Amino acid sequence: MIQILLIVHGLTAIGLLGAITHQAFSVARRPGPTHSFVNRFRGVNPSTFTNAVVVMFVATFILGGLLYPRYRIDVRPLLEDMQLRAANGVFETKEHFAAVGLGLLPAYWLYWRLPLARDSARTRKYLTWTLAAVVWWNFLVGQVLNNIKGLFP
Amino acid sequence: MIGAERFKVFSIVYGLAYMALFFYSESTKYAIFRYYPVLGAFYRDAQPMETAGPPILWYSWLAGAAVVSAVVSLIVPRTWAARLPQEWVWGVPAALLVGILVYERRWFY
Repeated sequence: MIQILLIVHGLTAIGLLGAITHQAFSVARRPGPTHSFVNRFRGVNPSTFTNAVVVMFVATFILGGLLYPRYRIDVRPLLEDMQLRAANGVFETKEHFAAVGLGLLPAYWLYWRLPLARDSARTRKYLTWTLAAVVWWNFLVGQVLNNIKGLFP
Repeated sequence: MIGAERFKVFSIVYGLAYMALFFYSESTKYAIFRYYPVLGAFYRDAQPMETAGPPILWYSWLAGAAVVSAVVSLIVPRTWAARLPQEWVWGVPAALLVGILVYERRWFY
């Protein structure tokens, strides 16, 4: 069961990562050649990602919360045995970042709801970038911790 | 949308309340409640490590922050909420993320 939860947690995180990265790139859109990969990646309608980001963030968060007890019992003591203090530290940042990101969602949703307020473009951009920073950091930390035995044999 | 401005207040307060509860727990070892995964149960008070295993306090910080920010967002008058600078909505959480990284660097020494 825990393996299934972990895989679903990872899959929702990947979906979230894709959606928020598209949106984060699109709000930074600058005019450029339409045939370039980056400009095509940016050239999406960013508001279409909002609900998906909110739903996937909450789903990933809940799944992470369900996995946490197993981490506390099995993984953290292992990290302590392996003298991997830094790994415990980055996990602490992950849990705090996730909490701050969760709290950000109501404002994020508010500023992205249609019709988009023209005078809030800057706020939308920085809210999206802040949320993207949370998602990227937590994804990378999760991957490193998940593979820690292979990375630090 | 009626009351939408309250979402701004909730988002600004949530991260602050969460970090306040975290630092309070760090300094006093107090938590609103603790979850003991070995026992699979919630307790108000700390249980013996030998029998109960390690506690999880994170759930209590999340729940506490949700209650505090919901109450504050309902109490703050809508006109005040509307007057809050937009920069606070992303600036406060972004500052918290930097603060978290600065504080948690203690694990790297």
